[in-house]
Amino acid sequence: MDNKLLTIDVSHGTTHDGPGMRTTVFVKGCPLHCVWCQNPESIGRDNGVWWSFRDCIGCLSCVKVCRTNALSAGDAGIVIDRDLCVNCGDCADVCPSSAMSLQGREYGLEELLSDVLRYRHYYNEFGGGVTCSGGEPLLQSDFITEFFRRLKKENITTALDTCGFAPRERIGSVLQFTDYVLYDLKLFDSGMHKKYTGVPNELILENLLYIADSLRSSGGVKELWIRTPLIPGVTATEENIRSIGRFIAENIPDVLTRWELCAFNGICAAKYEKMGLKWPFNGQGAMAEEDIAPLRKTALEAVPASKLSITGMIRPGNGKDA
Amino acid sequence: MDGVQLPFVPKIEQSERIKVLEARNQELSLSGLRQFGTYGDHRCWLNIGPFPYMDKLPSQIEGYRMDCEQWGADFECMLDYTEPHIYPCETIVGEIYWEIGCVRPCTVDQAPNAAEIREKLDKALALGGLPDAYGHTCPDMEIILNEGFDNILARIRKYKKLYTELKNTRKSTVLSGMEHVCLGCIHYIERYAALAEKMMQETNDTDEKARFAKIAECCRNIAHKAPESFYEAAQLLQFSILFDRSIGHGNGYGRMDQYMMPFYRKGIDDGTLTRKEAREYIAEIYMKLRGQFFSFSGRLPDGSDATNEMSWVALEAYDLIGDYNNLGVMWHSDIDPEFFDYACDVISRHGESLPVLINWEHMYDAEVRSGITPEDAYNVVYSGCQWFCIPGKEWCGHDTSWVNTLMVFERALSRGASDGVNDFETLYSYYTEELHRTMKAFQEAEAAVDRVRGDVRPEMFTSIISHGPIERGLDMVAPRGVDYQYSALNIAGLPNVADSFTALKNLVFDKKQYSLKEVAEACKNDWADNEIMRQRFLNQPKYGNDLPEPDAMFVRVCDTMQEVAESYYNQRGGQPMRPSLYSFMRHVEARNDVGATPDGRHKGDVFAQGINPQQGAPRRGLVSMANSSCAPDMRKFQGGSIQVDIQPKFFDGKEERYKYISNFAKAFFKSGGMQLNIHIMDLKKLEDAIEHPEKPEYRNLVVRVTGYCARFITMSQEYQRDFVSRMNYESMN
Repeated sequence: MDNKLLTIDVSHGTTHDGPGMRTTVFVKGCPLHCVWCQNPESIGRDNGVWWSFRDCIGCLSCVKVCRTNALSAGDAGIVIDRDLCVNCGDCADVCPSSAMSLQGREYGLEELLSDVLRYRHYYNEFGGGVTCSGGEPLLQSDFITEFFRRLKKENITTALDTCGFAPRERIGSVLQFTDYVLYDLKLFDSGMHKKYTGVPNELILENLLYIADSLRSSGGVKELWIRTPLIPGVTATEENIRSIGRFIAENIPDVLTRWELCAFNGICAAKYEKMGLKWPFNGQGAMAEEDIAPLRKTALEAVPASKLSITGMIRPGNGKDA
Repeated sequence: MDGVQLPFVPKIEQSERIKVLEARNQELSLSGLRQFGTYGDHRCWLNIGPFPYMDKLPSQIEGYRMDCEQWGADFECMLDYTEPHIYPCETIVGEIYWEIGCVRPCTVDQAPNAAEIREKLDKALALGGLPDAYGHTCPDMEIILNEGFDNILARIRKYKKLYTELKNTRKSTVLSGMEHVCLGCIHYIERYAALAEKMMQETNDTDEKARFAKIAECCRNIAHKAPESFYEAAQLLQFSILFDRSIGHGNGYGRMDQYMMPFYRKGIDDGTLTRKEAREYIAEIYMKLRGQFFSFSGRLPDGSDATNEMSWVALEAYDLIGDYNNLGVMWHSDIDPEFFDYACDVISRHGESLPVLINWEHMYDAEVRSGITPEDAYNVVYSGCQWFCIPGKEWCGHDTSWVNTLMVFERALSRGASDGVNDFETLYSYYTEELHRTMKAFQEAEAAVDRVRGDVRPEMFTSIISHGPIERGLDMVAPRGVDYQYSALNIAGLPNVADSFTALKNLVFDKKQYSLKEVAEACKNDWADNEIMRQRFLNQPKYGNDLPEPDAMFVRVCDTMQEVAESYYNQRGGQPMRPSLYSFMRHVEARNDVGATPDGRHKGDVFAQGINPQQGAPRRGLVSMANSSCAPDMRKFQGGSIQVDIQPKFFDGKEERYKYISNFAKAFFKSGGMQLNIHIMDLKKLEDAIEHPEKPEYRNLVVRVTGYCARFITMSQEYQRDFVSRMNYESMN
């Protein structure tokens, strides 16, 4: 088993990653590179640094300490040359204001368990539990399997939020101890899928059928949720929603608990800035009800209203800081 | 989420009568008549100017005497010259315009040993402590409701006779004072009866005649006898609270749902009362008063849930008007879940942190832990802010005594720096020593005050409806006046002390990046030219994020506070000091009393409020903050509340909002939490209200400042700003 789990965040009190109030463990490392990724720091499997304009006091301690000259002071702040950076973390250590920080944090199993078990009463009262999300949890499936096994022993429910792009045995291993599977179907056309996420989707669709079979053969899994991010001009087309809906209706209507359409918002833009990356949807506002309505109607051709949910609708100005 | 609107539209329809009363109530607050300094409309008496009959006061005629007899005579005189008024639509009558401090000096400066007391108080003050205790005790309202004034007066006279025969002048003098107090109350109520009779004669309106007749009959009866109906009980409750408030500060008034329930049951059973009428009588009491504290639920002596129909009625009365400041629901693991959900629903709709939610199990345990018998501890009630006590049996000088631990810390840091301390434990032992110095000075000053407290500023009305003072011939604030007399103290600055220690431990003692001397120097200079260093200290792990290291440090400083405080005993029967993890407004008021601190705080920045983390410190969200606050064993303390200030956005896309509050509260209490003050308030509206207090929609904007609530626009700008800069949550994570 991996000794440590590399995470970007362990967030307590989440309400959008499975039923009730939960702790969501966001792991680091993902085989997909979705252009709209809400957690761009979760993609890379190395624990690199990033820099926050908001917290920087301009002391340049980081530039001075860098041994590979990967850092320089540019017009818009500190510039990180990713080719030169060796992820040593010295700059994060020396930064007085935590403006420069490591994107990830490693947890040992016992440490992570003791952190999440302190929220037991919240899980109980809200009917929640622990979700592993990402990044892609299945990249660290040995750790997740053991983590989930221990949680089940403590009578805490588990949810796996996955993109599905993983070898089947890894899925099988984690599924033994998983109550809820939150499964992403982003784009039905495999070519488009490759274009926007970096990988084709055949394996993802096959794995979904495998999970559906394991639900049918009782197993431990209680519920299967499909999640589709609504990305303007990419996934948020009637054609894409119709195709995904058809696939669901033809293959998994019996085991589907919920199909969630996650409305686009740009609240991750600050994270792209911290990464020194360009947010490709700059200027794209949050989705409004009129953008959602036709997609909802299309989705309802495939699933009953009781199984469809729209999440992530926010009011203008409700952006949380990254 | 548009349930939170201003002005608030209540779930239960207001009758025309209640609308008229509510309009007057708002007018009284906004006109400044209830203004209490910078705190807002927190005053229970209407400030119509100085007492106009000073020349009638016995203390003016005879010359001031420092005894209870003259205190009582002045009190009687003050009530005698209080003119009765009956306003349109009201059925619950009575108002007060002065408190005893307006007619008679009630400070220790009147004592023969005033100079000695002042010297000791000044010494304690210089060391960061002030034993200046008042209030937030709780009389036992069952005594007045069950006995009525005549029986109480008879008891006073009986013991006065006894002590006179025994030639214990001191006690018979106290009882003479109580007699005056009792007579003043009786006459006050009789004048209301007379006024109602007169108004009845003067009107031709049949409805008005009936209203005045009802008031007159009620007042005639309860001026002497125990009440017979719910209405009479409610009116006597109102009068009694006014008399109690006339002694000059806020108290708790116990478990209204318990002591009003027999009257309610009787009225409902014999058909003389409806739930709506009962609700409106209680709503009238709420509108008449400021700063009173009632509590509901908790357990009965057999351990069962105490929630009853009256708990609902009393909460509905607040729901009806949405304008009252202090109610508490005492949660325990067997509380009626529907009632608890209703309480949370009320919070979610009104957003005014009403009722506050308190953990009854912890209050009970804290009382038993302090040496109160389990039989008495079952009666524990929330008595305001974060306090609790046993009605009629406990006077702990709750409320205004305080210790500023940052001043203590500052001395330890300064000593440590000049001694060249190079290990953490030695520095911590300096802090403990300095805390002992402060507590010793506190104890000595309090002892000096205690020698004269019962004569200088007795709380005689509270005393006559408590257990012991009449029989013992002692005011309840005097040693052994009532059974339980710990010394309660507000503790300010503990989260800052903890975070300062964590930062010093990491950066000075473990990493050795700075010397203690450098830190002390930088703090002394308010981090001038040392922003890099300040940022490093500011960015050390902080209490409030559910992180093991800083939370363990917080528990340590809390435990040290408790252990040191409890090693000092007071002069009132030798009972120990009991710290409360609460700071009232000291976190704002004392901000210039200390310099910059190693948690990265600048001089002049407000401290953390009570047990709440320092502003800006929590970065892991609401539930993690809540978990941190559960780290100390709250049973060791005299309470401690967390403020949960939620933005309306929190509830975006969520249905059944009360469930979030209810589930959150239950999980919090089961995790060891003590008290939740939950606000739901749009920050933008508050900011706008600071700039535009004249807008009509802000007239009824009530917020929980700390232990009390006030209309936002009546608070000083300094407190308004402190309020809006507090941590606000838009989601649980």
